[in-house]
Amino acid sequence: MCRGKVASRLALCLALGVPVALQAQTAVEPIEIITTTEAYDPIRYEGAYIIAEAWRELGLDVTVSPTEFSTLLSKFYDQQDFAVTISGWSGRVDRLDPQFYLGTLSSDNAVMGANNPGGYSNPEYDKLFEAQSREFDQTKRQEMVHKLQEIAAPDAPLAILFHRDEVVAYNKNNFENMKAMAGEALYSEWVPMEAKPLTERKTLRYGGPQSPDNINPMLANTVWAWKWMRLYYDRLVRLTPDVEVKNWMAESVTAIDEQTIEVKLREGLTFHDGMPVTSADVKFSYDYLVNSDYGYFNSYLTALDNVEILDDLTVRFNLNAPSAPFGSITLSQISILPKHIWEKIENPMELAPGDIPTVGSGPFKFSQYTLGEFMKLDKFEDHFHADEIAIDSVEFQIFADSEGVFTAIQTGQIDVTAWRMEAGQIPLAEQNENLEVVSVPDFGYYHLTYNLRKPHFEDVAFRRALTKAIDRERIVNVLLDGRGEPGSSVIAPVNAFWHNAFTERLDYDMEAAKTELEEAGYSWSSDGKLQK
Amino acid sequence: MRNSGYLIRRFLQALLALFIIATLLFFLFRLGLPDPTTVLVSEGLSPEQREDVRRQFGLDLPLWNQYLIFLQNTLTGDFGTSFHYRAPVSEIIWERLGNTLVLMLAAIFVSYGIGVPLGAWLSWRRGSSVDSWGIFFGLMFRSAPMFWTGMISILIFGVWLEWLPTSGMRTLPYEATGFWDKILTLDFLRHLILPAMIVALFYLGSPLLIMRNTMLEVYGEDFIEMARAKGLQERSVLFRHAARNALLPVVTQLAVTIGLAAGGQVVVEVVFSWPGLGREILNAVRTSDFPLAQACFLIMATFVIFLNLLVDILYSTLDPRVRLS
Repeated sequence: MCRGKVASRLALCLALGVPVALQAQTAVEPIEIITTTEAYDPIRYEGAYIIAEAWRELGLDVTVSPTEFSTLLSKFYDQQDFAVTISGWSGRVDRLDPQFYLGTLSSDNAVMGANNPGGYSNPEYDKLFEAQSREFDQTKRQEMVHKLQEIAAPDAPLAILFHRDEVVAYNKNNFENMKAMAGEALYSEWVPMEAKPLTERKTLRYGGPQSPDNINPMLANTVWAWKWMRLYYDRLVRLTPDVEVKNWMAESVTAIDEQTIEVKLREGLTFHDGMPVTSADVKFSYDYLVNSDYGYFNSYLTALDNVEILDDLTVRFNLNAPSAPFGSITLSQISILPKHIWEKIENPMELAPGDIPTVGSGPFKFSQYTLGEFMKLDKFEDHFHADEIAIDSVEFQIFADSEGVFTAIQTGQIDVTAWRMEAGQIPLAEQNENLEVVSVPDFGYYHLTYNLRKPHFEDVAFRRALTKAIDRERIVNVLLDGRGEPGSSVIAPVNAFWHNAFTERLDYDMEAAKTELEEAGYSWSSDGKLQK
Repeated sequence: MRNSGYLIRRFLQALLALFIIATLLFFLFRLGLPDPTTVLVSEGLSPEQREDVRRQFGLDLPLWNQYLIFLQNTLTGDFGTSFHYRAPVSEIIWERLGNTLVLMLAAIFVSYGIGVPLGAWLSWRRGSSVDSWGIFFGLMFRSAPMFWTGMISILIFGVWLEWLPTSGMRTLPYEATGFWDKILTLDFLRHLILPAMIVALFYLGSPLLIMRNTMLEVYGEDFIEMARAKGLQERSVLFRHAARNALLPVVTQLAVTIGLAAGGQVVVEVVFSWPGLGREILNAVRTSDFPLAQACFLIMATFVIFLNLLVDILYSTLDPRVRLS
């Protein structure tokens, strides 16, 4: 009798004991993927569901939360209140320099509100990141930049989903010699200077849904304002479509040493009001930005100590530390303003819209700006490059959405779409015999960022497994119709000099993902839920 | 003069309602919308630079302090500076409001001008196939989404037939010295036709159906019997006796429609790239442009409240049975 009791207890323990031992592991918490609404971007919206489906296969509880875009940004950057967010970085010409994108993985930027919301922090990465930004020798810097990508890739702090091709269209009966540029497509600074009209009309008409926030060069905070203003404000150098530095206002740019850059201006440059451009204007423009509260260009100017006038046409930039991007990015992004006009303005940030000066020295001069409707520039005949420019004026028509832009290019109301077409419009444009469709790779990227502060996401193996479960190839083929490239690094393949093609890619492989989890000590419950 | 007390009371009530709405708007946007500088992260601004921008916007002040400034400025008609455009809000919205009103009033004029007599006529022919078709089309355009009807009309009249322009208020580039100079042109009329037609078709259903149904009720009244008994012509009974009495609900509907019109039809303004207030509201909310959004909604509220007040007063004139008290 007594023995029987013991035996039955033992049996009970055996029966219960096994599952008890297994349940010592707890199920992984449900994961919420924050993505855009379908209306804002159907690609990121659909993509989230493809990813969620695969993660469920790994035994995870996954929900997708389509979120209004500004709320998404707020949760992502300002509150860091997310586990997984799908977002993107647009490719801007100044981001061809690796500094910006590499910086999004630097731990300095992991603070609230900065651009490393995932919180990736790797001392080795940070140290090398710091070093490359000071490296003046391009070859050495390239090595460092490649190494940085190599360090970050296996850690999978985020999944680079894809680089989306920029697909735009222009009217080929009206213009030729339209050369698209990576990341900028046809709304680059070069297209208006190179386009050749085929008809009597010598006005190049862009159309787009984006408009400048304002046209005050000491206040504008959007890329859409600067894409327009760079046509009438000139720069010392400009970046060519192949992203080479081309002397522009500068006749020569000489690095005296690692911290001193001497720039000699071309002779005979004038502003649109006829006043000559001198070294005083250059010094004034840089000092003006450094001393103002306007922060848009601050990151380019941190290395600048002072600007020194040597003679009427020569200035010297004295840097406080060697800076790799100064000679290319900074000199090509900072506009030269006329000192004689701006020095009289007391508070440039509080100018009424009607009082904002529009005098520059660029290849085009300001003509008209009607808020929310229309902008126009005329060719500046006295510009040193004027003989090469075949058009008389550039217009930009502002539409409410991309549907309006597309109707306008079909009806001949505009010549070029300034911004990418929707997936559904591309085949229609291809069938249209008046239109030429142009597709260029982008160096911006769409990413899925893990919040490394959240449980399980601090675990490299967990992130690697989740990344391997993302079928980037399928997202590009199905959602983008193949118009894009699966991503592997924050530096896009099209940015060939800086891109490292030999990093660990973590390509789609469900089996490998499961193995990775198993090896890290994860297991699956009897109903298939992932636990640890 | 018994009425003046009533009018003053109603006017004060309207002001109180506006004050409450302004307060709600102020807190709703600040508590409900994301920080206006968040979007600048995408432009590469660091947290310190964003803090500078917040200071320029006055968002570093305590909320109650911002609220007092807002109230004080609103009372003096100053809506502040738009966060996005960095320009005075009033400069932006008066122009936009004008653009919206000219489109909406044209549409309302057409829809009520056609809808009211047509509704009366349908009620007279009730039960006939004309009546059924009338109701069918009225309901159809009332229910069809305007972005759809708008896009179809753009496709047919703009892209295929190339009869009419499809976007904006004027052919670009244009130069105009002022609002009237801009709209008193043939070019503007051509741009107005498509969007106004789409809005008018959408609005047509209301006056049409309200008029028809009220007319049917009025037909049962004794005074109609009386008029017929007097041997008046059917046409005279219909328009002089029945229609006048059936107008009241239509007037209410008209006032509400005009009131809401100030906010524009966002969908139509987007589809036709019409630079109106509706599009601006959408942008303002998207970019968390508090001053601009507040002003837009406040203007809409003002229109609705005061047009309702106007209707109440008009009622007593239109219908002697209604007494103001």
